[in-house]
Amino acid sequence: MNVMDKLAAGQELVSPGISACVGCNVELTLRTVLRVLGPDTILAIPPGCMGGVGVVGWDKKSGCKIPVFFPLLDNVASMLAGIKLHYERVGRPVNVVAFAGDGATVDAGFQCLSGAAERGDKIIYICYDNEGYMNTGYQRSASTTKGAWTSTTPVGSDGKGGKKQHKKDFPMIMAMHDIPYMATANPAYIPDMVKKVEKAMKVKDGLAYIHVYNPCVTGWGIKAEESIKTARMAVESNFAPLYEVENGKFRINVTPKNPISVREFLKKCKKFSHLSEEEIAELQRTTDEKWNRLKSLCAL
Amino acid sequence: MPKIEVMNGNKAAAVGAALSRPGIIAAYPITPQTPLVEYLTQFSADGMIDSTMSEVESELSAMSVLTGASLAGSRTFTATSSQGLSLMYEPYFRASTLRLPVVMAVANREMISPQTLWGGPQDSLTVRDAGWLQIYVEDNQEILDMMIQAFKIAEDKRVLLPVNICYDGFYLSHMAEKVIIPDQDKVDGFLPAYCPEHILLDPKRPMAVDPLTNGYLLTEYRYKHMQAQQNALAVIEETDREFTNVFGRSHGGLVETYRCQDCDAVMVTMGSMTGAAREAVDAARQNGKNIGLLKIRAVRPFPQTKVFEVLKDVKAFGVVDRNVSFGWNTGIIYQETRASLYENHTVIPSIPFIGGLGGEDLTMEHFLFAIDRIYETAASGECGPMTIWLNKEV
Repeated sequence: MNVMDKLAAGQELVSPGISACVGCNVELTLRTVLRVLGPDTILAIPPGCMGGVGVVGWDKKSGCKIPVFFPLLDNVASMLAGIKLHYERVGRPVNVVAFAGDGATVDAGFQCLSGAAERGDKIIYICYDNEGYMNTGYQRSASTTKGAWTSTTPVGSDGKGGKKQHKKDFPMIMAMHDIPYMATANPAYIPDMVKKVEKAMKVKDGLAYIHVYNPCVTGWGIKAEESIKTARMAVESNFAPLYEVENGKFRINVTPKNPISVREFLKKCKKFSHLSEEEIAELQRTTDEKWNRLKSLCAL
Repeated sequence: MPKIEVMNGNKAAAVGAALSRPGIIAAYPITPQTPLVEYLTQFSADGMIDSTMSEVESELSAMSVLTGASLAGSRTFTATSSQGLSLMYEPYFRASTLRLPVVMAVANREMISPQTLWGGPQDSLTVRDAGWLQIYVEDNQEILDMMIQAFKIAEDKRVLLPVNICYDGFYLSHMAEKVIIPDQDKVDGFLPAYCPEHILLDPKRPMAVDPLTNGYLLTEYRYKHMQAQQNALAVIEETDREFTNVFGRSHGGLVETYRCQDCDAVMVTMGSMTGAAREAVDAARQNGKNIGLLKIRAVRPFPQTKVFEVLKDVKAFGVVDRNVSFGWNTGIIYQETRASLYENHTVIPSIPFIGGLGGEDLTMEHFLFAIDRIYETAASGECGPMTIWLNKEV
């Protein structure tokens, strides 16, 4: 079955009427992964964009057709671990899944996630990385790219500023936990994303982690109609490569034949508009270094 | 036949928890609770229990794993102390507001700073308003028995709240004494399997847990939670009676009184200090002082009516607190006790004591000294709070 048929056959598990910002590719990601995961799924949506737009629900109304709940920002993986332990105990195969932003994953929730990964809790953890606390007006996170404007790393009247530190390389950190499956994904590459969710569902001996790179139209200042295009450019520039690590084996899934420059990707996002030539050059250099490192890991 | 074994409080807690057949146990070791975690993991390794164990990376995760497991339908158990309880505060509060019948033993330990690891219930008393039931026990038999009772109380449909069984670190956690181990089949008869109906994460019955909730609906949640706390007053007493019928031991329910029938003054205590206090009461009685003793067992819900009944006609009372209430210049139980008496038509002279902090010993001499001060208070008719710091005075 091709991907289109597969997705068409899957159930729409988000309640009707739930919608995020115009052009939001996180909503697309959520709807896509849920169609793959199916109804035998328990879903954790920590505080963040998807919780804010109502995927857990409002008052007495549910935002999903499957069991869904708000974990705390910092205990997503642990709550899921407890749920999964119960279902393993009673012998029922249930997908126990996190759909969490980068704040709940790379910042506040990191300790719990790292612990669950080390213990081998059999959960599927999907992080939608939109590089900051978007739901509350775009504050910086450890996942924000160096130089980016955020509401807590502002640009001064002299035109200088932005985040001073590098983006935490979280997919690599998760891969180094030696979990059975780690993958990056991107909303511009749906067939690749579907395959990766299917692989995560097949993991039986530990935690599966998928890190989705989701440029945020509202927070980053991207035209709504260029939401997917911008996400694709992050891959085409090698800025956010698509790769997976299966039982320690690294594999790049998409190798751009003629990579575009990082500058072209940055140009699409208003949050980088103040960057100097030197700052752009540094981001290009970092991108090249990381890409080469990834290729080396794949050659092992 | 029930077995008899000499064991410390941590083992009594572990045995009591094991007899209660929790589905999932998640715990992180911290002094003085650590041996309890070791006992449980050993029981599991030896095949004595079939609970699923999760060796979590922190107390935050211990409570979080249990929150998830309980939401999925398992009976759950953990234990902690002091800084560990502080670290789990966020999911701790939420386990109660989600109405999950988690049971957690607390081997009470002082809070830092300064750096300390000795006993004192400052840790759990500080979070007494987080919605859990809290019961403080005096000896190791009571620890074991209350683990079993705790699940029964927590899972009662009139309650559905998590329960702390709190015991003094080192004084109980590490001191060995004779403990009767009840038969498993009797425990099984007393404590039926947990069957969640009110909240569940199960694809067969899809449910949104904690959608964004407006104030009017949240008010309903709080109203019912408060009612459940009040319902627990009766359930704790009932459970003690039922336990007595099956196992032949009573621990007093909400409070325990000693020589209060004919007393004219009362000393209020809590936890392991009560043993020495009881001896002091006997000694004072021989010197013509008709003192009685009131041991607080339940702090949440606070047994206001019981306390009122015991104290309403005395000439004076004093409260010995092994903790502080910053800003009140007294201990916490003193404030709770005084608040229980507001409906009395006359003001009863009272005196607050603070002692035993950081595991300092509270001896008979301290309690005899306290009893003398209580009678001075009765004579002068004055009311506190002029806290007497027992370990500074005696």
